[in-house]
Amino acid sequence: MMPAVTSETEETRYGVFLDFKLMARFLGYTRPHRRWVVLALLVPPVAALSQFAQPLVIQMAVDRHIVTGDMAGFPMLLAALIGLNLLQFITGTLQFAVNSLLGHRVVRDLRQELFAHLMTLDAGFYARNASGTLTNRVAHDAEAVSQMVSAGLVNLVGDVLLLIAVATGMVLLSPHLSLVVLALLPLVILVAFRVTHRMRLVQRHGTLLQSRMAARITEEAEGRDVIRLFHRGGAAAAHFDALNRPHRENADKSNFLEAFQFSFVEGSSTILVALLFLYGGWLMAEDQLTIGVLTAFIDSVRRLFFPIRDLAGKFTTMQSAMSALERIFALMDTPSAVVDAVSVNHAPKQTQARGEIRYCGVQFAYGEEVVLSDIDLTIRPGERVAVVGPTGAGKSSLIKLLNRTYDPGLGRVEVDGIPVNQIPLVELRRRIGVVQQETFLFAGSIADNLGLFDVSVTRERIQRAAEETGAMSFIQALPKGLDSVLAERGNNLSSGQRQLLGITRIFIFNPPILVMDEATSSVDAASERLIQSALERLMADRTSMVIAHRLSTIRHVDRIVVLSKGRIVEEGTHQELLECQGLFAKLYSLQFQSTS
Amino acid sequence: MNIPLSSTTQTRLRHLLPHLRGQGKAFVWGFCLLAATNLTATTIPYIMKLATEALMNPGNGMLKLWVGLLVGLALANAFFRIHSRIRIFGIGRDVEYALRKQYHTKLLSLDAPFFDQEKTGELASRGSADVSAVRMLVGPGFLQIFNLFMVALTTIPVMLALDPLLTLLALAPIPVVLGISRLLTRRMYRLSRVVADRFGALSGFIQEAVAGIAVIRSHAREADWNARFRTEARILCQASLEHSRLQSLFAPMVLFAGSLGGWIILAHGGYQVAQGRLTMGDFVAFSGYLAMLIWPTVGFGWILTVMQRGLAALDRISGVLDAQPFLESSLASAVETGPRWSGALSIRDLHFAHQPGLPVLRGITMEIQPGSLIGLAGKVGSGKSALLHVLARLYPVPTGTIFMDQRDLATIPEVELRRNLAMAPQESFLFSAPLIQNLSLSDNNREEVWKALSLAALDEEVRALPKGLDTLIGERGITLSGGQRQRAALARALVTNPVILLLDDVFSHVDARTEEIILNNIRTLTRTRTVVMVCHRVAALRQADWVCLLDAGQIVATGRHETLLETTPLYRELRDTMTRAEALEALAR
Repeated sequence: MMPAVTSETEETRYGVFLDFKLMARFLGYTRPHRRWVVLALLVPPVAALSQFAQPLVIQMAVDRHIVTGDMAGFPMLLAALIGLNLLQFITGTLQFAVNSLLGHRVVRDLRQELFAHLMTLDAGFYARNASGTLTNRVAHDAEAVSQMVSAGLVNLVGDVLLLIAVATGMVLLSPHLSLVVLALLPLVILVAFRVTHRMRLVQRHGTLLQSRMAARITEEAEGRDVIRLFHRGGAAAAHFDALNRPHRENADKSNFLEAFQFSFVEGSSTILVALLFLYGGWLMAEDQLTIGVLTAFIDSVRRLFFPIRDLAGKFTTMQSAMSALERIFALMDTPSAVVDAVSVNHAPKQTQARGEIRYCGVQFAYGEEVVLSDIDLTIRPGERVAVVGPTGAGKSSLIKLLNRTYDPGLGRVEVDGIPVNQIPLVELRRRIGVVQQETFLFAGSIADNLGLFDVSVTRERIQRAAEETGAMSFIQALPKGLDSVLAERGNNLSSGQRQLLGITRIFIFNPPILVMDEATSSVDAASERLIQSALERLMADRTSMVIAHRLSTIRHVDRIVVLSKGRIVEEGTHQELLECQGLFAKLYSLQFQSTS
Repeated sequence: MNIPLSSTTQTRLRHLLPHLRGQGKAFVWGFCLLAATNLTATTIPYIMKLATEALMNPGNGMLKLWVGLLVGLALANAFFRIHSRIRIFGIGRDVEYALRKQYHTKLLSLDAPFFDQEKTGELASRGSADVSAVRMLVGPGFLQIFNLFMVALTTIPVMLALDPLLTLLALAPIPVVLGISRLLTRRMYRLSRVVADRFGALSGFIQEAVAGIAVIRSHAREADWNARFRTEARILCQASLEHSRLQSLFAPMVLFAGSLGGWIILAHGGYQVAQGRLTMGDFVAFSGYLAMLIWPTVGFGWILTVMQRGLAALDRISGVLDAQPFLESSLASAVETGPRWSGALSIRDLHFAHQPGLPVLRGITMEIQPGSLIGLAGKVGSGKSALLHVLARLYPVPTGTIFMDQRDLATIPEVELRRNLAMAPQESFLFSAPLIQNLSLSDNNREEVWKALSLAALDEEVRALPKGLDTLIGERGITLSGGQRQRAALARALVTNPVILLLDDVFSHVDARTEEIILNNIRTLTRTRTVVMVCHRVAALRQADWVCLLDAGQIVATGRHETLLETTPLYRELRDTMTRAEALEALAR
């Protein structure tokens, strides 16, 4: 579930009512749905017309037939009226349906684009932004925009048209009476808008307090041992009441505003009607008005007030949508730090992917902190190289530069003689298989997680790979084999089993270069042997770079590189390094002392 | 309030009815005001009729009176409406407040075994969304039901008096409106749940994609994930569309049913007026009454759905309110304060299991002298933490197994226990609140808090914080490092100056040197304190008066560190693992 928004931040701000630049950009998203836009724009005038005509028909019915007693054309008018009512029903339904269709579709497109953009962003971006915020953008902010379209935007046009239509009708019926209405209307609108806005603010404050209480309960459930141990029940109750009581008081405000808003529009329409009677009576005495016109006019007043209440609500919907739109576009405009170079030739390269890796004078820093400097390293095709060193020496960063999770500050990294930033990202990353410290598993079946939801990966290929790594033995023991659905993040598997799945993944995609980032560090001793032999098989005929925590796992490599504080300090075979009595020898003796 | 209820309903409402008992006066007031609202509202169309008639016969001078009355009635109506709503919704809000408070207090009284079974998210949503659903049942629920009754009671007799046949004809669409409203709201509610689920699935998908972005990136699977997301977004879009299709029918259909009534009045009443059997004013009044009936009818259909939801929410809340804590309330509420304990601790054949059939502790027996430092060692899952949890009475303690100062732990009042015993649990949980609130219950013992902080070697770092002890920590404040959190949790346990101190692996994120300093502090400054600690470094084991080696829930060896090294291979193995980890740790700095 989503983390609830518990404070008034950027996320809950109300924007301006209408930002033309944002709107212009947003309207671009409606272009693929042009036909629906046309329909959405065509319906409101018809709806307005159906409303506009009804009082006129009633007026004719009263003045020409009911009052005079001549009922000859009366059924015709009745038929017309029921027809208009039906038209109003149909157009009303259509208007709402088309608008929400438009809203949901446009937001679907917007979401898809936003997510696709998210997928292109670099690791640095993800390190800077909380996952909750990103989820909020694509899920909640987009929803607010959907609200704007389906409930607001086109209906807003419709409401305004309706107001104009009804007002025009009123002026046509009686210019004199219209004066009274038009004099009072701005005041009513102003008050209705102010109250609605205030009401939204109060309601939002209430929601905020409520989600804080929910957060409080969550926190207390997680920290219940502390509450019990330190006898904090009383204090916790007081804290909770410090939210619950303001929530209760806020509710009074919200109740009042709601009731006031409802009564205000209702009451002022009655008062307006009363004034119309007074003025109308005077006009009738002067013979400037018929009773039919007045009846129709009163009917119009009711129609006029309905959209006003509506309009006020939409105003605030627009405001929150505008600020959501602003955040969405800001995210969409965030460029990725790692992108294909303009000069990249996307045509498939004819050069054989041999798997040579070369670091030339590489320097790299996370912000101020320099992680790697003066790295010169060449790994020949098919060679196995281990990188060792204490925690924080920069081992993992070597990998991150190779598959362009990051780009180096100085120097360059090459694969098969081509600088990595000249190789299309997709191609580069498919050439390099990475076994991480922990294998991340997605919600879905084991087969989905092995083939990574790629439809072009056949069932046979998955099965063969799983057999090759030995993962099949535990997969078969599961009730549904490869189709067993994993618990959240694969929690029903041991860390060793998860790791075997990660290795199987690489087997399936068969890259020429293999990189292992402490692949067995979080695995229990029993599964380590199984994983080790799977890795051995994986390394055959591939260039491999192994980052190892346990030195026992790197006895079979061709060469060992020792990193310390971001620099290469030793390099050579296992034997050579032991003989030179440096950092490696020290690490080695530490690990193997008193274990035999 | 004495509303006759069937026994099953009464059982379902058992936790709600007590909150309604004190609200009698508010109910009476609310309904008087509601009656006044409806009375004034019904009079308005009648005055309009009189005003229309006055217009038809100009010169009788009554018009001004009717207009004045209309204005007065409009104002009175607004006044009554506002106040009736405030009163009646206020009852709902009072109930919401009280029920939420009761729910929260109940949660505080429940203990670890209860929480082990419940999902945290569920508990939070019961306390927020479900309590609000009950409020809707009480406030708006009652209002809508009584409102419909009153409106019907006031308008229908007047309409019948004016013209019975026309009344029946005009009211014909009303049952249809009710039926449609009920049907649509029920289906809309169901579909809105579907939309909420789909929305949750979409959010979950995004969250997972963001969490697993490294895998997606390193396998260059962005295109596949885009395709999967497009499907998720499309599914949500379809569900939303289905919901809004129903929604789009709702308001126009109600309006149509309403205008159908108006049309009937015109069609039938028109002839009546033309034939002089009905006045023009009656005709206007009829239209007005009908308009008054429409929305309460719609509201009634809606409220039936709301009430159904409210009752279901009440059932979920009742599930928690009916749960029983293991600690007897007599123990929990006792306030007596005995003398300070000596710190003697004795455990006799203690067995414990979280789930029946899966024993965690199997026959633990220990005799601990006041003022000793006991180290607990053992592999992951050997029962060290569980032993501390039971000693701290976070889980039910069988009588006759644990004695503190020769008194059975199961019978010691809660207040007394917590004054004499403190524990720093493994998770070092801190609340998102100012640091001082995390360390101490009261704000006026800052001196002791500083002393505890200095014992936990955290005082200097706290002084460096922007607001010192008043710095807000957690989600909306400063994030403390793992080591700082552990030392803060330790300080919290030291502030109360307990006789028995239980430490559950509280140094795992603290470096070896600091650990040694803290251990020395605890050791030398507090000779009168019994400490039982789970150790993960050799230095701590060396400090202990004696070490207790646990394996699979049993004590396999006891003795001083040096003795155990000589006699017990399992202990040597543990020591070697610790040494290796410590050496690597040292190399990394």
